[in-house]
Amino acid sequence: MTARPLLRPAARAPISDALLGPLLIAPAVLILCAVIVYPLLATAWLSLFAIDTRTMEGGWVGLANFAAMLGPDGRFFGALGVTLVWTAGTLTLQLALGIGIALLLHQPLWFRSLARGLALFPYLVSTVVAVLVWRWLFNDFFGLFNRALIGLDVISRPVDWLGQMPNAMASTIVVGAWKFFPFVVIAVLARLQTIPDSLYEAARLDGAGAWGRFRDVTLPQLADVLGIVILLRAIWDFKEFDLIFLLTGGGPVDATRTLPLVVYQEAFGLNRMGLASAHALGMMVVMTVMFVAYRLLTKART
Amino acid sequence: MKRSAILGAMRQVSTWMLILALATPLLWMALTSFKPESELFAIPISILPEEWTIEAYRLLIEETAFLTYFRNSVVVAAATTMLVVVVGALGAYSLVRFRYPGREWIAGLALVSYLLPSLVLIVPIYLMMVAAGLANTLASLVIAYTSFALPYSLWLLRSFMAGVPEELEAAAMIDGASRMGAFVDVVLPQALPGIISTALFTFILAWNEYLFALVLVNADAQRPLTTGVMTMLVSGFNVEWSLLMAASVMMSVPLILVLAFLQSYLVRGFGAGAVKG
Amino acid sequence: MTVEPILSGGTRGQTRRAVLAGGLAAAAALPLAGCGEAPRPITLRWWSPQAAPEQVRAYRAQIRAFEKKHPNIGVEFEPTSDEGYPAQFAAAFAAGQVPNIVTHLPSFAAQGYYAKGLLAPMDAVADAVGIARFLPGINDVYRAPDGSLAAIGIGGTAVDMLWVRSDLMAEAGIETIPRTWDALRDACRRMQRGAVYGAPLPYGNNSMTSLVFVSFIHRAGGQVFTPSLELALDSEPTYHALDFYRSMRELCPPGASSFGWADSLNAFVSGGTATGIYGGRVLANVARQNPRIAETLRCAAYPTMDATIPAWTFNDFPSLFIPKRASHPAETRAFAAFLYDPEGYVRQLLAAPGHVLPVLRGVAESDAYRSNPLTVSFASEIETMTAAAARGHNLGWESPAHRPNLKAGEIIASNAIAELVQRVVAGEPAKAAVGRAASAIERIMRG
Repeated sequence: MTARPLLRPAARAPISDALLGPLLIAPAVLILCAVIVYPLLATAWLSLFAIDTRTMEGGWVGLANFAAMLGPDGRFFGALGVTLVWTAGTLTLQLALGIGIALLLHQPLWFRSLARGLALFPYLVSTVVAVLVWRWLFNDFFGLFNRALIGLDVISRPVDWLGQMPNAMASTIVVGAWKFFPFVVIAVLARLQTIPDSLYEAARLDGAGAWGRFRDVTLPQLADVLGIVILLRAIWDFKEFDLIFLLTGGGPVDATRTLPLVVYQEAFGLNRMGLASAHALGMMVVMTVMFVAYRLLTKART
Repeated sequence: MKRSAILGAMRQVSTWMLILALATPLLWMALTSFKPESELFAIPISILPEEWTIEAYRLLIEETAFLTYFRNSVVVAAATTMLVVVVGALGAYSLVRFRYPGREWIAGLALVSYLLPSLVLIVPIYLMMVAAGLANTLASLVIAYTSFALPYSLWLLRSFMAGVPEELEAAAMIDGASRMGAFVDVVLPQALPGIISTALFTFILAWNEYLFALVLVNADAQRPLTTGVMTMLVSGFNVEWSLLMAASVMMSVPLILVLAFLQSYLVRGFGAGAVKG
Repeated sequence: MTVEPILSGGTRGQTRRAVLAGGLAAAAALPLAGCGEAPRPITLRWWSPQAAPEQVRAYRAQIRAFEKKHPNIGVEFEPTSDEGYPAQFAAAFAAGQVPNIVTHLPSFAAQGYYAKGLLAPMDAVADAVGIARFLPGINDVYRAPDGSLAAIGIGGTAVDMLWVRSDLMAEAGIETIPRTWDALRDACRRMQRGAVYGAPLPYGNNSMTSLVFVSFIHRAGGQVFTPSLELALDSEPTYHALDFYRSMRELCPPGASSFGWADSLNAFVSGGTATGIYGGRVLANVARQNPRIAETLRCAAYPTMDATIPAWTFNDFPSLFIPKRASHPAETRAFAAFLYDPEGYVRQLLAAPGHVLPVLRGVAESDAYRSNPLTVSFASEIETMTAAAARGHNLGWESPAHRPNLKAGEIIASNAIAELVQRVVAGEPAKAAVGRAASAIERIMRG
């Protein structure tokens, strides 16, 4: 088949390409600007005042909120450390579980549709319900885990899954992975469908085993989807509030108190909207740095 | 031959065991919804109900506003999904195939919107909705949720569409199709798994979102399931467990149906006969 | 070379698309299908976080009775939640979209909003109901610094009563309900055997731990603030309370370090602990979930450090208030007063029997109130709780001599006291931990 010039316009082009491009993206830009840009600017503005959440009024304090947040009495860096531990832990587990399960579900399987439904289920359930159920499973008296472990004689007293370290952080990471790994599964599974069998055939003919095929065929093909998935999950895990708040409330003491929990407490518990906004902007700066570093890393690789 | 058959069976069994282990919380949830209240807190706990009852379901459907909440959630989730898929697909196509100043900036803007924690967005977004006269309406939720799902949709669809070879569109246009015609007939079908992923993700997001629904919509008639069920059944002091588990099961059923519906699209392989030779 | 558009593939695909399209169309048409009666000229909005199905039924009955009397006024009940209301209120106040009437928020929330100028004084409503009809002094907790009532009470709750299982007590040879801490600790130790623990005290980083521990400071004869609101945390009674609370840790289940109200309640109701610390909801929950132990329930005011120290009960004083910018103030006040109409009021109370206690005279003894099986069989328990609640206090108002503490809500939300408990129980030196908590609280008081 001979190559043909690609951008030759069709015989009758009602809208020129130059206009069509921006036109198609316009609705998206409109929505994003309206619903994101204004609140973002509002947050930046609020962070310069000492605002009482109940009245949304307060006096100018300039950068005092930021000074308080980053200073010796501030909670920003402590919470940042906790957030990074949580994010790294749960993201790793989500990826491992997600890719693994996607590969398994890509193979022939009895009642595969049902298996897929069940595997994706954690993501479908609302976070509030999921956490309530998990807290129930961790319960001393009615919890399945304690009962099973005591029944199997592994332990004699129930384990304190959520009120003690390192259990609390470990439990949170596991529950987070359970809740969100299906997101990885969906994206990876969709991509797996588009990898032509011919590539696997070629690899098999070259003598590659299962791991070799995974490493040399699957993984590179998944690279672009994984790139997005890692980025998005990292951002969303970093921002995650409901799950940790309902599961441990930040405890014991502040061992699982991530930045979103601090923002919530400042905004609605302590009624300090200005300080909360400052923390939120701090979060944004950190995530931007993470994002830029990530892009540089992936660009360097390609 | 036999050895690989045994290995294959072992693989299937262990896969299923893993799936069931992951599904334990959900199986427990479903079993609990059929237990009478007196069995919930019996020590030692029972796994299977000693007495199967659908009292919780009956109570929810007949004596609470559950069905109203359900309807609202369906409307919001469906509307948001349609909006996100349309706007996202068009936008992604624009980002992939066209060149114009500011293109990369817009892609970046989409992602920047994810960097702000939603907690601080609540009050400004609520004020905006009030100013637009949309407070307490389902439309305010649709708009808010669309903005949450749009960046993801843009990026994912961009990735899928970038994987569609340009020769296909060129071929279609040479055959007489317009630019948009080529988009609909060539690019969309190839990007279908990505579109399905996006639709699924958006639907789930809109279906399960709690905090914004709590603040933006107060009237009972307009509440979606999340806030309706939670405020009704869960308080700091008390949890109506049977009703909550029954509600959770019923809240999950439409999602399962949507999933079952869309699964074959997700699964459909690379179009047979699309590009050969 | 042709391209097969996948979308139009096969009859199966077409059927699915048709179903999908049909479903979406039907869903979209649903909101257009009208419902209900024509809206009335005046609509009032009523918010409350106490919205269990039984309670909502009682509210709807009250609304129907009111609407019958006032055909031009309609009332919409909109449930809120204990966790969600700060965010909801912040948005509502900011946008001027406030409800007309709010019930069942704790007294310190009401005082806090009033201090910010967001609420209307409630003296007129109290007069409309009839000051003499209220239990004496029950509304003192709502007296704002400017002399008006920031809110009035819709009910009372004796939140941290001591509940005991008389059967377990008998088994352990304990004859009387413990009155002092030593007696309680001893009793719990003797009743703790097998899978049953002594007590379900909270040790988590949450509001329950803060609120419960404030009570323990008082039971040691101390206080968190002086009547003029100077911080008095760093004093003997606090250390005694910390000592006692830490010594009780081994008599509570391992999971107590993340206990919230529901967990603690469930632990006792299910029989997992020999004693409980809660309000009247124990009665309803036991009746529904574990009727076998119903006969064995007894309650008393929670033990104090020694017999000379009087009992101190935490009452969060579920309130009723009206935002200043609410529409139709006159109609709203009329509805607020109507909520105390005996028939509807009793029904509302009986929706959570024993948990929300009456604040009007004569209700507890009335036949209507005693028509509920729980209020009949547990009449003496309810009497005990009512008496305790009437003498109850909370961090926002620690004694009749105290000025109202407008920052109580924020102090609880900061978890400063809960953290103090957690640190000490974990083994940190008490002096340092108290110092930390004190500076955190002082920072909040300074504003």
